[in-house]
Amino acid sequence: MSETPKLVLFQCQWCLFAPADQEWVDTQLPENIHLAKVPCTGRINPLYLLNAVQSGADGVMVSGCLPEQCHFKTGNIAARRQLEEFSDYLNHIGYEQDRIRFLWLDLQDRGVIQKELAAFEAQITALGPAHNLATRVAETVGGANA
Amino acid sequence: MVDAARQPLIEVKTFTEVEKVEGYVGNFVVTLREKTKYVRADRCNGCGACTKACPVEIPNYFEMNLAPRKAAYIPMSQAVPLIYNIDMDACIHCYKCVEACGALEAIDFSMEDKLVEQEIGAIVVATGFSHFDPTPMTEYGYGRFPNVITAMEMERLNNSAGPTNGALIRPSDGKSPKQIAIINCVGSRDKRYNPSCSNFCCMYAIKNALLLKQMHPDTEISIYYIDIRTPSKGYEEFYDRARESGIRFIQGRPSEITEDPDTHQLFISSEDITLGKVIEREYDMVMLNQAAIPQPDQNHMSSVLNVAQSPGGWFMEYHPKLRPIDSPTDGIFFAGACQGPKDIPASVAQGSAAASRASRILHSDSWQIEPTVAVVWPDRCVSAKGQACGICARACPYGAIDYTKGLAAEVITAKCHGCGACVGECPHDSITQLHYTDAQVLAQIRTLLAVEPEKKILAFRCQWCSYGGADLAGTSHFEYSANERGLRVMCSARMDADLIYEAYRLGAGAILYSGCHPQDCHYITGQVVGAKRAARLEKIFERMQMSPGRFRVEWISAAEGDKYARVINEMQASLDAIPEDVLKAEIERLRPEMAKKLTKLDEIPGVAQALVQVDFIVNEMVGKEKVA
Amino acid sequence: MSGFTDSNALSERVKAIPGGDMLMMCYSCGTCTSKCMIQTKLESSYNPRRLIREAVFNMDDAAFADKTIWLCTACDLCYPACPQKIHISGVINAVKALAVESGKKTPYQVAKVDELTCVACGLCVKICPYEAISLVEKRVAFRGTIPVASVDQGKCMACGMCTAACRSTSIRLAEDYNDAELIDTLLSWLGTERVSS
Repeated sequence: MSETPKLVLFQCQWCLFAPADQEWVDTQLPENIHLAKVPCTGRINPLYLLNAVQSGADGVMVSGCLPEQCHFKTGNIAARRQLEEFSDYLNHIGYEQDRIRFLWLDLQDRGVIQKELAAFEAQITALGPAHNLATRVAETVGGANA
Repeated sequence: MVDAARQPLIEVKTFTEVEKVEGYVGNFVVTLREKTKYVRADRCNGCGACTKACPVEIPNYFEMNLAPRKAAYIPMSQAVPLIYNIDMDACIHCYKCVEACGALEAIDFSMEDKLVEQEIGAIVVATGFSHFDPTPMTEYGYGRFPNVITAMEMERLNNSAGPTNGALIRPSDGKSPKQIAIINCVGSRDKRYNPSCSNFCCMYAIKNALLLKQMHPDTEISIYYIDIRTPSKGYEEFYDRARESGIRFIQGRPSEITEDPDTHQLFISSEDITLGKVIEREYDMVMLNQAAIPQPDQNHMSSVLNVAQSPGGWFMEYHPKLRPIDSPTDGIFFAGACQGPKDIPASVAQGSAAASRASRILHSDSWQIEPTVAVVWPDRCVSAKGQACGICARACPYGAIDYTKGLAAEVITAKCHGCGACVGECPHDSITQLHYTDAQVLAQIRTLLAVEPEKKILAFRCQWCSYGGADLAGTSHFEYSANERGLRVMCSARMDADLIYEAYRLGAGAILYSGCHPQDCHYITGQVVGAKRAARLEKIFERMQMSPGRFRVEWISAAEGDKYARVINEMQASLDAIPEDVLKAEIERLRPEMAKKLTKLDEIPGVAQALVQVDFIVNEMVGKEKVA
Repeated sequence: MSGFTDSNALSERVKAIPGGDMLMMCYSCGTCTSKCMIQTKLESSYNPRRLIREAVFNMDDAAFADKTIWLCTACDLCYPACPQKIHISGVINAVKALAVESGKKTPYQVAKVDELTCVACGLCVKICPYEAISLVEKRVAFRGTIPVASVDQGKCMACGMCTAACRSTSIRLAEDYNDAELIDTLLSWLGTERVSS
């Protein structure tokens, strides 16, 4: 495949304890990755995922905190319930489960997100562009950005 | 230790466990388990051929598991006696060592542990302390991050006889670290693990930092601390020296250590208290200054020696200020960190003191004890009649009472310190205390309440605290009600419920139940026994609907003369608040109830006769009708 | 100057509120501040340790003006880390309750309810971790007196979970992290051509 996949990273703003990691995400993210910073993974409306997916994102990564470490008590638990179920649904309508990855980070993880992103990118590259859903949505709704 | 072993009058028994301690001061019988080394001391010449031949390798505990050792080994190079030892837990029974030993035939696998009984005059306990394992503190990553090491591991790494021959290296890659952090109070001053301060770690951190700086001047060392505690002579100067030599002191307890998974560099995140800012700094290596904790088998030792433990698990001394070396049991002394964390000078001082305390016993033919010891009337003890009881043995702070079901309880006089807790607790009045017998105390009560008892405030005072407090109130000329009548017993634990009931039966206006503050008790836990009983009595009197203020419980120290005077005055005020006819009616109403609780009082040996005599004398003096 | 232990002194009032009773146990080790990411990520003046000191020394004005009280989200990462076992968020909440009592308001954004579209389904009430949302009977223009969701300003922490849960997009964060901004930037980025490798 000659093209670099387009990835969207939904990042909870608390999940990276190490300032260096946060700085890397804020300033040195590769160009093919879009950062959507949210106050909590619980803030991520499934609508965002749907928007990203039907507009042609090849992969979506959600990074958040471990359950007992949520900055908003139960935000990431709500997110798990909501988003993982939604990813099942996306899988059902043709957006492979492998294209959505949830990354739950521990306070002590350092340099994990870089590696995980690289691994995810490799995985998406292997899968190829996600045209399945985008085309179908384009046909039925009349274009991704309509 | 090598020096001590050379002394002709000192016998050093290593690899030996104390199984049982019986007897009393000057006459202990100690059962020792001499563990077998499977090497015959008379034949081994210390050549080390067995170690070379042994194929088993296990972590070396002495080197903090940083180096391996064989199953045939000597624990350390200064071991006494210097003979080899087969670790039977690790041995695979290949008998290569036996072959290597050859004609010496020093290794004998048929050897067994020996139980030896020895007569001992005095015992000095110097079992030392152990280290807190920081693995549960996941925030510091000990056990997961290879470059996070404990203070003891650093000690071995930095030791020229250690596993690296003194080369300071990082465990992850063997490089020499240039940035080292020392974190203090790991597991100490921490209510989650050990709430107390470990005493010597601040100095220990500074010592280690200075040592590292001297040996490796190009390393940068930072010490993270909550407070630096340098309380002894010359310690603050040592701290100054460390600052001068460029060691960084950062006030602020680190909350998290994170590690770069590739380089194994460590990052410490902490707040600098003085700046009020969170700072993150990078280090090559982090040393955790762990808490000092009691030995893992301290509980077992405490039951073998029959000595109590302080909160936190250390052995408890007789008195924290006045007798810090003696155990509550005569003839057993503490030296060093087994009694509480302490540094080398303090341990040496306590060791020398313990030795001289012990030699005092060894050089005397007789031993003085308190005259107020407890005595059991065997014919009255219900245990002798087959009932399960043992209340006295549980109340005794010194473990001086032998209780076996079916036999009368027995007081070991040499262990008894005369607090009277057993006397106060015994529900069958089967124990008495010399010089404070029930007859004597009851006689005092009757005398004190001979005239107009309803106007009197009867104050039970403990010998050591509230009696001293009352004394101080007097010598300081604090005014308090003249209706107070003081009565001295050795401890609040001696203040038998019967005595209180009897005083009320005789018509006492108010009663003060006073003793030491819990931490000041002269008899370790005597006050606890007394306080429990006082709480019980308070409830009983409340149920009897006694007017408030007639029974009061106060803990007054010998320095609180003003408090004693204030309490008595308050009691007088609350007594005055009850109209006279109401009070008299109440006394009459409660008299039969009190009497009901005292049916067996006359059966106590000596009481009836004593009271007849007292009544006679009182009648003579007061010239009134027979009292009560 | 009022005494340290007057019953109307700040420290005593904080101690009287459940959660604030451990106030005096703090020995200022700074673990809480460095465990919390708010100072490094959001607001450099955030410092729970300093807030505790301010409460201990009865500095009402300083404590109520401290942004710390509004920013703590009671995630309680610091609680298990505190060596004195102080429930720090409990203390902060106690100070905050006193600040609210004295008429102070949060300077930060809170969730806003669009009362014209709210159907009072109660999803937001259920999901809110701070129990900041409740359904109240209210007179709404064009709709009469109907039940609608209402956000307690003193409790809302602007986590946005309600907006993610709302099925009628009637509750939202108006300033930072609003829906339009997030989706617009996402779509405009996706609308660009694929990056060739």
